[in-house]
Amino acid sequence: MPSGVKPGKYFVQGDEAIAEGAIAAGCRFFAGYPITPSSETSETMARRLPEVGGICLQMEDELASIHSVGAASVGGLKAMTISSGPGISLKLEGLGWGIKNEIPYVVADIQRAGPSNGVATRVGQGDFYTVRYGSAGGNSSLIALSPKSTQEAFDLTIECFNLSEIFRCPVFLLSDETVGHTRELLVIPEETRLNVVKRFKPTVPPEQFAMYPLDTPGVINYPFPNIGEGYGICVSPYTHNSKGYASTAQDIQEKMARRLVFKITENLGRLVRVEKQKMEDAEFAVVAYGGNARPAIAAVDIARESGMKVGFFRPIIVWPFPDGEVLKVAEKVKTILVCELNIDGQLSREVGRAAKGKAEVHHLGSGGVEPHLPAQIFNEIRRLYK
Amino acid sequence: MSTVGDTLQVFHPLVAKYLRKERMPHMACPGCGIGQVVHATLLAIEELGLTPKDTVWVQGVGCNSRITYSTWVGDNVDAHHGRIFAVATGLKMARPDMNFILFTGDGDCGAIGGNHFIHACRRNLDVTAILFNNGIYGMTGGQVAPTSPVGAVTTTTPYGNIEDPFDMCQMAVTAGASYVARWKSTDFKPLVNSIKKGIQVKGLAFIEVLLQCPTNFGRYVLKTSQPQEVLKWIKEHSVNKKDAEKLTAEEIAGKYLLGEFIYRPERSGIVERYQEFLKKYQKE
Repeated sequence: MPSGVKPGKYFVQGDEAIAEGAIAAGCRFFAGYPITPSSETSETMARRLPEVGGICLQMEDELASIHSVGAASVGGLKAMTISSGPGISLKLEGLGWGIKNEIPYVVADIQRAGPSNGVATRVGQGDFYTVRYGSAGGNSSLIALSPKSTQEAFDLTIECFNLSEIFRCPVFLLSDETVGHTRELLVIPEETRLNVVKRFKPTVPPEQFAMYPLDTPGVINYPFPNIGEGYGICVSPYTHNSKGYASTAQDIQEKMARRLVFKITENLGRLVRVEKQKMEDAEFAVVAYGGNARPAIAAVDIARESGMKVGFFRPIIVWPFPDGEVLKVAEKVKTILVCELNIDGQLSREVGRAAKGKAEVHHLGSGGVEPHLPAQIFNEIRRLYK
Repeated sequence: MSTVGDTLQVFHPLVAKYLRKERMPHMACPGCGIGQVVHATLLAIEELGLTPKDTVWVQGVGCNSRITYSTWVGDNVDAHHGRIFAVATGLKMARPDMNFILFTGDGDCGAIGGNHFIHACRRNLDVTAILFNNGIYGMTGGQVAPTSPVGAVTTTTPYGNIEDPFDMCQMAVTAGASYVARWKSTDFKPLVNSIKKGIQVKGLAFIEVLLQCPTNFGRYVLKTSQPQEVLKWIKEHSVNKKDAEKLTAEEIAGKYLLGEFIYRPERSGIVERYQEFLKKYQKE
């Protein structure tokens, strides 16, 4: 199968960069349901995947998309689906099946202003908790990465695929309409310069292989045998033992729940990725993620020009949340201003929790439609700066 | 024969060959028809020479799935409630060389998964789907199903069901499946032949089986716990498609038609079409 990597410089939207990143990561199955502002990814996949022998389907609904993607991964193909707010709500039903059976695949969420249908064509950042806690039943952890640019949309999509194989779980790319529809420079490097993780395969015979490593909950880089490889795998939404046989035993439920949480929480060191700017001498920190990081960085630059000691902090891997990194920031500065495109305060709440009272945490929210303007953020910095 | 604990277990040769002994005995209630359908499926597999290497069992959620999942000696994929056709689409597209046998129920396929069922038929996905129709929600304790007869008293229709039942075979024909048939659980030989035909046909094969559920359909709808009474009811409420031609509309009202409704082996499906499409557009 051809790699599909087309090195070069491109002037494209973030949504298109996701498709190129997925193909470069080895994605060969894509299923989606059209929804603004994510459809450009589906359209790019529909054009590009057949060129590399991949399969692209427009399914009958969001549920079918995510379930066929999980199943295609069980069938041996790296797979991805994409959506936005109202579609993500539906996809969460299928996400549980992927989490439970430890199936590697990627879901991209191009956030728009919500709730419900909201404003389909305009930006919002309301799915921060939805992707993390939306899957019913708890007893799981989740990985989500958030790009701020077209280039990062490409780079982080590859990283999402890699982490999904390493941790054997669905991974979210939590983008937003700003990044999705911003047309800017994308540099695709030579294939040899890309780090692509292949699916881990068992090295022991089927009778010795535990499909679900319940007794070693923190293990990563764990193999995933696909159907047709002689391992007689059992995939099931019910709580199951290490072979995949359903069980109602309390100890099996306990082990399964621990496995699904601990495989991520015992490897947090592998999952810290943040951006810091001008934090060395900062007394005030501005925190933002995704597309809204861009006006935040501009506002920090304006504040610096005005002589204020302001720095910038951004979680790139947003889930698991970088508690330790945020605490370091909180211990350094007096005030933290969190800028995000929701009124309820989602990222702010996490920052407030992780800051442990070491700094004052303020929320600058917006219902969405437009990203924050640098001047809005700068005015808030000026108001709060001591 | 083998011993599990202190119990001497004697396995049917088809069970010994194709099912996981450690998953036996199965969970079916006494008198349930699911075992008959599984028997017919295993015989079809045996007669066609399918193997665990080339065949996958796929289940949804419901009695039939709970009883059959993780029992096949090969690969087993159990879907969320209603998502069996969506899951089968991903599996079959990823592994077009393998056979997929789907076990689904009237709630799984006709209610919560109805949309996926329609579109799998429209795409004519090359899988064999066996619908276990017991006319009621069995696993959850006797609630009304989209297949329950009018007037049926169930735990959620205590005053009798006022809705008409869903003829899923007609839906499968209309939506585009290659092969559609309906049998009773007691029509053993036609059922075996039908499953064989379904596995061999290109495109989607949809085989509905009317089966007895003494535990819930018997208890709530027919006020009996006797499997033979439920079987008798099914017999009285079904008629062979050819025999029905001689009956008046009044005589066949409320009866299930049995037999083959369509067989169009020439109709291609998404799997075949995608392969052809890829050959055309794949660039080296």
